[in-house]
Amino acid sequence: MSSNKSATTSSKGSSLSLDTWAVIAALLLALALRFDIIKNVPW
Amino acid sequence: MASSISLPRVEPGNPLLNALRILPGVVLLAGIGYAAKILERSVNTYAKTHHWTFPNIEYVLWAILIGLVISNTLAIPRLFLPGIATYEFWLKLGIVLLGARFVLADILKLGGISLALVVIEITLSLALMTVLGRLFKLKPKLISLLAIGSAVCGVSAIIAAKGAIDADDEDSSFAIAAILALGALSLFTFPAIAHSLHMNDVSYGLWAGLGVDNTAEATAAGALYSDAAGKVAVLAKTARNAMIGFVVLAYAIYWAGRGQAQTVSNKAAFLWKRFPKFILGFLLISLLVSFHAFNNGQVTSLGNLSKWAFLLTFAGVGLRTNFRDMSKQGLRPFIVGALGEVLIACLTLGLVLGANRIWGL
Repeated sequence: MSSNKSATTSSKGSSLSLDTWAVIAALLLALALRFDIIKNVPW
Repeated sequence: MASSISLPRVEPGNPLLNALRILPGVVLLAGIGYAAKILERSVNTYAKTHHWTFPNIEYVLWAILIGLVISNTLAIPRLFLPGIATYEFWLKLGIVLLGARFVLADILKLGGISLALVVIEITLSLALMTVLGRLFKLKPKLISLLAIGSAVCGVSAIIAAKGAIDADDEDSSFAIAAILALGALSLFTFPAIAHSLHMNDVSYGLWAGLGVDNTAEATAAGALYSDAAGKVAVLAKTARNAMIGFVVLAYAIYWAGRGQAQTVSNKAAFLWKRFPKFILGFLLISLLVSFHAFNNGQVTSLGNLSKWAFLLTFAGVGLRTNFRDMSKQGLRPFIVGALGEVLIACLTLGLVLGANRIWGL
């Protein structure tokens, strides 16, 4: 089941796992909100 | 892939090319998610305007249903598959950002209750699936995979265990198929049962987090009941996910002792490698919010970003579920999985109702 395997393990070319990328992306978004780079996210 | 559409691997290489490869699928996920939001609003408005008695179908269900209809009636062009495979990234991003909607005190209280229930649930589930697997004469390593998948966290746990216990591809494919098929069924059965029992949001959220195996389905099953239940389901499921390393390690040692898997030399490294790192991100965001690093508007925006990420996840859950492929799987693993899941669902329901009596959830 290649897809799930690829989704949960790091790729050969990157030492970062999917989890780590998700954390980095979330922190970048949080920083962007904190410093008003993103003003408001509506729902 | 056994019970769902075959999603290809995004190969390392040129980041720009990879971004272009995933773009069509991500646009499809976003399109389905946005259509689900529009459908929720317009159907409810239409029903109100015409004085219909119509159940409030939330965007979560619409997103899953649209995905299911597409994946089961159309052949999804290969162009979209790499992007659809990103649904797990959106799930983890959504969970990390959801940390903004919990202050640490909530996590300590609910997380503590969840952890206590998780330990009981894991012990009972492992024992139950092992007994059922032996009763139905399944292969020993398939029994291990089914037990780990149903006790801890579905597909991720099975994949983590596959390498650790040297299980073969066929066994892991069977186990994953059973877990995903049953996860899809739980999306519809869990909320219906909870409504009939008039469960409150916290109790139901705990039940969904403990009883539904795969994280995406547990998140969706929680959100299908209510926003508050969705939050609790993610917290309980996260507590369960945190145990993945310990359970897989125990099985690795068991199989190594029988000379059928490699010996684990460094247990701490083994545990760290399998620990779901997104849990640390979730706790970090919650910690920052608890110490007022963000104002109220920013916290709301973080919560909304989490909802958008989950919206793409729910579309992905529908798109990857293919009932035709499910029916091609072997019957015995599915029966064992189904029997086990029903019993585990009953056990976890009993646990949650008991906890509700003791702690007044």
